[in-house]
Amino acid sequence: MEHSRHGFSIRLKITLIFLTLLVASCSHTVRVDGSYPQPVGQQHPLTVGIYLSDDFRNFVYHEDSEDRDEWNINTGRAQKNLFETVLGSMFTETISLSQYPQNLPKNVELVIVPEVRELQFTMPRETRVNIFEVWIKYDMHAYDQKGESVANWVITAYGKTPTAFLKSQEDALAQAINIALRDAGATLYTGFERVPELQALLADKRRALSLKESEPADVRN
Amino acid sequence: MFKSLFAFGLALLSGCTTVVIDEYRRSDGELAEGDSVVILGRRHSSDYETEPDLIDCVGRQLHNPDRGVNVIPEKQFVDAMYPWFEPRTAPMHLRSLDRMMEIPNLRERMEAYGVKYIVWIDGSTETTASAGSIGCSIGTGGAGCFGFGTWDKESDYEASVWDFRDQELSGKLSADAKGTSYMPAIVVPIPLIARVQNNACKGMAAQLQEFLLPSGGRS
Repeated sequence: MEHSRHGFSIRLKITLIFLTLLVASCSHTVRVDGSYPQPVGQQHPLTVGIYLSDDFRNFVYHEDSEDRDEWNINTGRAQKNLFETVLGSMFTETISLSQYPQNLPKNVELVIVPEVRELQFTMPRETRVNIFEVWIKYDMHAYDQKGESVANWVITAYGKTPTAFLKSQEDALAQAINIALRDAGATLYTGFERVPELQALLADKRRALSLKESEPADVRN
Repeated sequence: MFKSLFAFGLALLSGCTTVVIDEYRRSDGELAEGDSVVILGRRHSSDYETEPDLIDCVGRQLHNPDRGVNVIPEKQFVDAMYPWFEPRTAPMHLRSLDRMMEIPNLRERMEAYGVKYIVWIDGSTETTASAGSIGCSIGTGGAGCFGFGTWDKESDYEASVWDFRDQELSGKLSADAKGTSYMPAIVVPIPLIARVQNNACKGMAAQLQEFLLPSGGRS
């Protein structure tokens, strides 16, 4: 009895290991851990709060369709690094918010909240081009001190990497995602002032600052 | 003796490559002390991408501080100028570069790096044809392969040399390389690889050196 139980246990273990290996062979996990450079340019004269939600910080894209293997792509950490670095360099002062809209510091003029809307990728065998491609779309929201919406805009990012000898699919895809995230940072940085509502807000702020500077010192005091 | 035999053996074991270099020069290179050259790959096309290893290779071949050629590595430069030299934002024409230099911090950083020339390399290496087949089998008596495979590769690169300080196109050069690799397999596959991209890199680097240091440089 002992022997048969023991035998069953071994057989069960082997079967489980085999099944796990079988499932794992069709499942891919990608974790993107990127660090990104600080942008070079002039800072916008605003005090901005940045709120990166838990969903955003721990974002995992999961895909398990019939015509593809299972994919789990974790971009949370990398996109957190990117948005903190880029937004942190874009304004004269930035405050990282652990919660929103509660406990908003009084000096914050604008709160920026990004959200992932979409992530798509293609593999070389699907497109017949020796390139891994990634598209990421972000919904960007900006709110004022009272929590009212100031602007909503979309950032689209694209990254690609050619297939390389002895490089795994996971590595190639992670590289393409890193390039897409750099592209997202570039679009965020260069496109911020092109959003009409934000352009108007910045123009008002600059006007107010130049008026303040042109006032005589005694009036200011 | 052994070294010569080894080199001869290697030469025999590699496929043949032909490289054609063309040059169009508008002005002679003039690198002063402290000047730097940056070599960047174009990555805006949707169906190919200038390989980073080709850019690294040209940079390594060209970098020679003793002769006055100081090459800034691509990654270091692109990171330092982020986000202005990304595929989406990189200047496609000198006019765009001129507009970009209206950003004071960016101009200051470019000047701090001592950038004199920006060399843009656009192109790729592709496998254009392949033929043959190799079969491998494994049995109780051992394992082995039998067959013959061959493939052609073509490199097509164009380099544009921008003079950053004078804001002008100094010249252009192109490198076209072709080569056929073979792999006969009689029990063991023997690859006879044509190093097409590497030869295009060496040809381009040699021509760029002549372009940037027409008088032979400092020595």
